[in-house]
Amino acid sequence: MARSYLFIPGNVPRMLQNMDVFDADAVIIDFEDAVSLTDKDEARHLTQLFLRDHLPPSLDIYVRINSDAQLMKDDLIALETLDIQGIVLPKCDQDTLKEYEASQANFRVIGIIETPQGMIEVEKTAMHPCIDGLILGAEDLKKEMGFTRSSQTLYYPRQRLLYAAKAANIKAIDTPFTHLDESGLSEDACEAAALGYESKCAIHPNQVPTINQLFLPSEADLMAALKIVKKHEQTNSMRFSLDGKMIDKPVIDAAKQLIEKSKRYGVKGVL
Amino acid sequence: MPKTVSVGTLESSDCMMTIKPHHTTVITIHTVVHEAFYDHIKQTIDKMIAAHNLKNVHVICEDKGALDYTIRARLKTAIERYKDIIHG
Repeated sequence: MARSYLFIPGNVPRMLQNMDVFDADAVIIDFEDAVSLTDKDEARHLTQLFLRDHLPPSLDIYVRINSDAQLMKDDLIALETLDIQGIVLPKCDQDTLKEYEASQANFRVIGIIETPQGMIEVEKTAMHPCIDGLILGAEDLKKEMGFTRSSQTLYYPRQRLLYAAKAANIKAIDTPFTHLDESGLSEDACEAAALGYESKCAIHPNQVPTINQLFLPSEADLMAALKIVKKHEQTNSMRFSLDGKMIDKPVIDAAKQLIEKSKRYGVKGVL
Repeated sequence: MPKTVSVGTLESSDCMMTIKPHHTTVITIHTVVHEAFYDHIKQTIDKMIAAHNLKNVHVICEDKGALDYTIRARLKTAIERYKDIIHG
């Protein structure tokens, strides 16, 4: 249900301490790309003690661990007693999932699909019992595939991941936008939202307000959903016509979901 | 191999913890919040080096307003790295 997933480095106290003031719906503490190989132990100790002493209430917290087997093992040991929402598994495919399972950790997992292998296995990965969601990692995928990033080149990976996630009834989270210009971010997020994505990663706190706003239902959508649910409740019917359109169960369910999301994030002037 | 380790940064809310060999155990603390927190930081460092049975070291803490968890985390990493160097 979160709209924004903000990455913050696991080795920077200032960022950890401020994680709850950036207004992100969820935070991903990073042990992977944001932390150099020689500083992994620093990040583990800092994050572990921070979360033990200062766990922010009402914020979904994930930790992106490393995909290398030994680093993954050490990361998971550091996290084992912490009350976090789950871990984020980079370079997620069947092999990295096996590696994760071998660790016998019990965290829920959001997998980052960022390799060609991960993409061709995405349907299987989405159905894996420990998987709660999938993130598209376009930058690594771009590097591996040799494409340049555009709405055209991202169309296929976005669609394929989204179908896999929806079929498995798990979260689909759009790739971060790596430039810091707001108009580019808006355009990129709108493209993802138009395809059906309901959330997106942020790599800078300044990206969070734009993402939160763009993945919030519009007042018009909320009004329409309220009207549908009202008529459904009044008629106690699962199939009826409203404003010239046929309404049935999937539409009613979608309207209820939209109302729930609007309530959670306080769509202005309506609820 | 140099037997000095430094962990952390001099950025705001962080601290840099350095450990090097010394003929006795000495703790040096430079902190931007000296009056309010010097004793607390000293106590934290004393406790941790005792718990890790670390002797004959000079521990230098350059504090830039770090919270207690940061001081403990940086020192924990520094102690582990120092022991790795000393004991191989």
